[in-house]
Amino acid sequence: MMNNTQLYIMKFDELCRVADLPEHFVLEIVEQGIIEPEGDSPDQWVFTTHMVSITKKAVRLHRDLDIDWPGIALAISLLDDLEQLRAENHQLKQRLNRFTAY
Amino acid sequence: MEFKDYYKILGVEANADKKAIKVAYRKLARKYHPDVSEHKDAEEKFKEVTEAYEVLYDEKKRAEYDEVRQYCSNDGGFRPPPGWRPGADRQEDFSAGSDFSDFFSSMFGQAGQQSDFGSRRRQASKGRDIETDLPIFLEDTLSVESKTISYTIPQYTADGRVTEITKSLSVKIPAGVEAGERIRLKGQGEPGGPNGIDGDLYLRIRLVPHPLFDVEGHNLIITVPLAPWEAALGSKLAMPTLDGKITMSIPPNSQTGQRLRIRGKGLVKKLPVGERGDLFAVLKVVMPKTTNDDIKKKWQELADQAAFDPRSEWSDK
Repeated sequence: MMNNTQLYIMKFDELCRVADLPEHFVLEIVEQGIIEPEGDSPDQWVFTTHMVSITKKAVRLHRDLDIDWPGIALAISLLDDLEQLRAENHQLKQRLNRFTAY
Repeated sequence: MEFKDYYKILGVEANADKKAIKVAYRKLARKYHPDVSEHKDAEEKFKEVTEAYEVLYDEKKRAEYDEVRQYCSNDGGFRPPPGWRPGADRQEDFSAGSDFSDFFSSMFGQAGQQSDFGSRRRQASKGRDIETDLPIFLEDTLSVESKTISYTIPQYTADGRVTEITKSLSVKIPAGVEAGERIRLKGQGEPGGPNGIDGDLYLRIRLVPHPLFDVEGHNLIITVPLAPWEAALGSKLAMPTLDGKITMSIPPNSQTGQRLRIRGKGLVKKLPVGERGDLFAVLKVVMPKTTNDDIKKKWQELADQAAFDPRSEWSDK
């Protein structure tokens, strides 16, 4: 079966449905700048698949660890930095290995 | 059925007060939260800790649990006390898809799962989303590729039992996918409950490490070993790229660590369409592993004739 249902973007109401969240949660997450959809107002907002997973992560952290929204914004940005640094560190180590192996 | 020692899981004494239980839970929850932790069993650990907290922080559940705990045998097995009525008889909500252990479910029933999270009830009707890794070879990111993926999802039979089925899908992977990117397949996750919508499947792209090329954004990096004379005199060599070999010129007097750019032989960019990153060749001068008297003589001649001090910057100090 060939599948062509890949979607890269979605609107506000679809994000709420897909992430199974009440609107005010998503509004809060956007207001904190945790995700930055394109468009000026909620009915024009466009979200990427990546934003969906960040939104879900934000809600999980909020629910499971009892963190307030500014705390979530900080945690997500730090986690993002950490992930990037880990990936970069991994790459640099690998390149160094290639360079020093004889 | 395996008995769960919730006190041990939270690392608290059996007489711990609510405050101590909450502190212990919060510490462990932060440690094992799957979004934060690098621990390989993070998800399992987190569920276990949450389950323990749900029981021990609730006075009624804790009392019930304490009573049952007395019947826990030393070997970790669990013999239900006489007259014990498993909670499974109580209320069953098969579509909720409980995250908790059999032990928990049999004591408190799946409906025993409390959550102050507003949307839990609605989640009961929507199937859960599934996220899974999709390893992709670098070569396969250059053009649109069809990949067959297999994954398991729970399936609810007519009589409410849960079985697992393996699903296979053919998925088109667009050119230029990047590590960490997620592809959403609508409605291919866990099935929803009666009248509910199905969950989605998210494929998280993972680039398989290549034996020759490292990835840096849209650029690729390859290390090029050179003989000392190739570095000194320059050379033309056949160099592998992701799409076949090319001839590359090494300029005379090349240095270890020097980067040569080969335009357009990197990874495909999504935008602008058709554009590609570059391939960087990093030069590395290597010595032959063995030598003989003739060669040694030649090196000696070179040493005598080439007035070269590679450590000139040391002598200034």
